[in-house]
Amino acid sequence: MTGMATRERATASLTGAGADPEISVIVTVVERPEPLDALYREYAAVLDACGRSYEFIFVSHPYFHEMLEPLLALQRQGAPVRAIESPRSIGETALLRIGLADARGSIVVTLPAYRQVQPQAVRELLAAVDGGVDLAVARRWPRLDSKVNRLQHLALHLTAGRLANGTLHDIACGVRAARSEVLRDIPLYGDFARFLPLLAIYNGYNVVEVASPQHPSDLPRRVYSPGVYVRRLIDILGLYFLLRFTEKPLRFFGLIGAVLSGVGGIALVVMFVQRMMGQPLGNRPLMLLAVLLATLGVQAIALGLVGEMIVHFNASRRRSYRLREPRGARDESAR
Amino acid sequence: MPPVALPDLSIVVPLYNEEESVGPLVDAVRDALAEHPSWELVLVDDGSSDSTNQVAGAIAAADARVVLLQLARNYGQTQAMQAGFDRANGRIVVSMDGDLQNDPRDILLLVAKLEEGYDLVAGYRMRRQDKVVTRKIPSWVANRIIIWLTGVRIRDNGCSLKAYRRDLLDQLHLYSDMHRFLPALAAATANARIAEVPVRHHARRFGVSKYGLSRIAKLLADLLTIKMIASFRENPLKMFGLGALASGVVALFFFGAWLWSFVQRSDVLDVSPMNAYVFPGSALLCIALAVFLTMLGLIAEAALQKVRAEEQVERFGGREVYG
Repeated sequence: MTGMATRERATASLTGAGADPEISVIVTVVERPEPLDALYREYAAVLDACGRSYEFIFVSHPYFHEMLEPLLALQRQGAPVRAIESPRSIGETALLRIGLADARGSIVVTLPAYRQVQPQAVRELLAAVDGGVDLAVARRWPRLDSKVNRLQHLALHLTAGRLANGTLHDIACGVRAARSEVLRDIPLYGDFARFLPLLAIYNGYNVVEVASPQHPSDLPRRVYSPGVYVRRLIDILGLYFLLRFTEKPLRFFGLIGAVLSGVGGIALVVMFVQRMMGQPLGNRPLMLLAVLLATLGVQAIALGLVGEMIVHFNASRRRSYRLREPRGARDESAR
Repeated sequence: MPPVALPDLSIVVPLYNEEESVGPLVDAVRDALAEHPSWELVLVDDGSSDSTNQVAGAIAAADARVVLLQLARNYGQTQAMQAGFDRANGRIVVSMDGDLQNDPRDILLLVAKLEEGYDLVAGYRMRRQDKVVTRKIPSWVANRIIIWLTGVRIRDNGCSLKAYRRDLLDQLHLYSDMHRFLPALAAATANARIAEVPVRHHARRFGVSKYGLSRIAKLLADLLTIKMIASFRENPLKMFGLGALASGVVALFFFGAWLWSFVQRSDVLDVSPMNAYVFPGSALLCIALAVFLTMLGLIAEAALQKVRAEEQVERFGGREVYG
């Protein structure tokens, strides 16, 4: 009953004289949603037990419209719940940003629409954020799910996971807590919400993992259509480029181009020497391959140069570093 | 004088794991600038993993002239320098290394030279105290290449001890590893007047050098970028146009060789002309490259249209003349 009482207090403060809740919970409803009211009750119980004020923001695809109905019933009963529906089917990142725009809490907890870990994990995540961590991520550990799932997990961590230099063991887990300004500061777009912890590290925020047993509803085997895997692969490639080469595209394209045109160039030189020694050239397929490699190499380098040009001209509007404690920018007014 | 007196001279020092050097460095700067009326020292901790931050923080807390900026992670020397430049208040800004290899007593020499009417004064290290094979020779080669590519005669691009006018720094935005090419960039993009002054150089006293031989490939890519910026920043389309033209000339050469084989009745190619498919094939590939480069140039032009238009105002807004 004390839980109910606290919840009513939280509600009162939410609807009251504009006092903001401490915690905004953003639930992105994109895939395999469970009944959302039950999800709300489970997590709200944990937050009540912590004695924190909170609001829940469910951001959903139009596809899951019916699932929002029970939330509206909760809302009518006075629960601090809001439901936002995107006008069309958009990605998880965009849904998260919509939720962030409306979040009023100083701490934001993100949740998927299904239970990945035991709800008690939120308590530890909040404790970590209170302790000064910028972003706390739940790690599903020990893992109890099927081999297929774990194989996919392994594949993700052998590719994207490497970008974290071994500090993260479950980047795909959507249960996270952070100070809201941290989440607002990290430039999220495309499908990169999935890799939020990696982007946080890249932007100089400190990220910790909190181990929590996997929830039974996260156990069923997940197999996606081949297109999903192709998209993930492209995402990871994009992320790799974003984190390593955004400011120096020529180092990426230049290496590819140098290797291609180098191989092509060597082959051309060898064939030229052989031609001088009397071997006919006009019907050697190798010649075509060599010219093809050389032109491909030049194309790669040219693309890298375009990238450098764009970086150079945009340098003044890009932030190339972040200060830990901003201590006042240059005093322009006194100049 | 403005109500809040801003320092006239700002010293910017990036620090990465220099816990032992910070103290002596700050002392040396204080000694060197004892006669100077208004200066500030901006220390930038580039995400050090040792106690640099604590040591520097204690110094900054005790001396109002010393400011400590802390980068959120280890970004690199360029970003650390840019952070310091962004924070520096001085009309003149001097950058130097945090490892005590530069001598703060040279600061005022650079400033005096700058006051003669230059925008940038670069130090070059006399009797450089570094390893010959891994540091001095690569550095010499790199400097030759930079001079040859950019036409900016700077003997020692690797020397961090440099003095700049605030106005110049406001026009430069460093990223990637560009601090090493700062003079070339300044000349190419801001038409900076540049001078050189010999400076002292000491052997490293503490810690380990943070450079290595493995940087040559990166350096080459950066050099290509600098060359492109220096030569084609006014007209990116021209670069791609020239590339396309060169590719077209090669295509013509291949076509010519093919036609020549008809004239010569296979004497040149030693195969019947119609079987000499390699030549027209190569020509077509080169034409494809020419078309690709032209289109790339057009897309670059479109992508940069807006920023370049804005940048021209910033650049050609005029420059104050100093007496």
